Amino acid sequence: MPNSMATHADSALVLSRVSAHFDDERKRDAAALEDISFSVPAGAFVSVIGPSGAGKSTLMRVILGLMPHASGTIVRNFSRSAMVFQNYALFPWLTALDNAAFGLKMGGMPRQEREKIAREKLKEVGLEHLADHYPAALSGGQRQRVGLARALAISPDLLILDEPFSNLDTITAEALKTDLLKIWRAYGMTVLMVNHLIPDAIELSDQIIVMNAHPGRIEKVLAVDLPRPRDARGAPFFKEVDELTEIIRSVS
Amino acid sequence: MAGVIITALIIGLSGYFGTVSWPALLDAVLRTTYRLALSYGVALLVGVSVALLVGWSRFADALFPVFDILQNIPSFALIPLFIYFLGYGDLMIILFAVSSIVWPILFAVLSAIKSVHNDLNDAATIFGATGFRRIVSYLAPLSYPAILTGSIVGIAIGWESVIGAEIIANASGFGAFIKNASASGIDQASVAGMFAILIIVFVVNRLVWAPLLAESARRYAE
Repeated sequence: MPNSMATHADSALVLSRVSAHFDDERKRDAAALEDISFSVPAGAFVSVIGPSGAGKSTLMRVILGLMPHASGTIVRNFSRSAMVFQNYALFPWLTALDNAAFGLKMGGMPRQEREKIAREKLKEVGLEHLADHYPAALSGGQRQRVGLARALAISPDLLILDEPFSNLDTITAEALKTDLLKIWRAYGMTVLMVNHLIPDAIELSDQIIVMNAHPGRIEKVLAVDLPRPRDARGAPFFKEVDELTEIIRSVS
Repeated sequence: MAGVIITALIIGLSGYFGTVSWPALLDAVLRTTYRLALSYGVALLVGVSVALLVGWSRFADALFPVFDILQNIPSFALIPLFIYFLGYGDLMIILFAVSSIVWPILFAVLSAIKSVHNDLNDAATIFGATGFRRIVSYLAPLSYPAILTGSIVGIAIGWESVIGAEIIANASGFGAFIKNASASGIDQASVAGMFAILIIVFVVNRLVWAPLLAESARRYAE
């Protein structure tokens, strides 16, 4: 695992031997984590892939401190984190603009200032013209873009994306993926993305963490060394896809 | 033709309701409506505040069954207690009605907070809606549709409570009006009063609740 050897100094996030479990019956569907260790280099794009039940979302919640972990250590070398959700998790009572500005409002920023920033972020994700629409009036892809604008607005240095494309159709997902890469390159923040599509993970990531289920654990951490921008139709790309597919098949 | 029927209807109805004292009835209905409006205002304030505070705290799961038991106490079983402490006046009737209107509102809001998708809670936390800000900027707007439905159920119960308390306490208002009317054999007055209340309920539903519900359904749709 070459990338997990990175020193703490240049890592945005280090987990060592982290376990988490639930004694609450009702949270049974949330997977437990066992002995999770990896590190995320600052500014890297890291994907977490694995079957359902592997605890990928649980892992994200533990990293964000939304859920306690039972043992192990987490070193958080970032100052602000934001998250984009699979189900968008927009506030239905707020317009696209107010959703994008929500984090800034909670931070106490005056209205005029935060609306200016929120409008800029909506423009970056191509939704400036829908600023006054409520989420119910937006398509899935548009909602996910509002979710992205809401995350970008608080200038995170760690951006967590929990299966951001899995509720979107292929064309919408492709467009969002292109924009996400553009945004990542422009901002240079660390990105941690939960995913279940192998080609997506290889196209986007510097590093791929392969998880397995019952209990949720890490099977392998892979570096993707293909030069960027990546050609998702070239032979080297498919070779990587084959390799990763083989690894996942062998562990599951 | 229609004109003839309507005219006949009016003449017939005015004959039937000839003995009704309209000013007394109007006064009684307005007094009952006024008491209900006050009761609803207090119950809304108390129910929403308590539900938001409990939903915000870590005790929501523990307090839910307690509220459930309290809610299940038949409110009219408590009316002697209200009369003992508050007498037979406005205050007793209003507080008694509050004690029944408050529950559907409280439960609607608490259930809405408890049943919200985990991701939305996480989003609120991640983007800074923590501490007391969480109530104002997240839990309160989240509960808006539940406040509406709780209010509609609460007000329906409120009519019963206010009128029932008026009958029992024989205070002024519509409850006392129909009690006295039926005691003196003027049933037409009771019928006229019921129509008056039906009209109030209908008008308030069409003009207030229906548009609010439609608006909230549109905005809060998934």
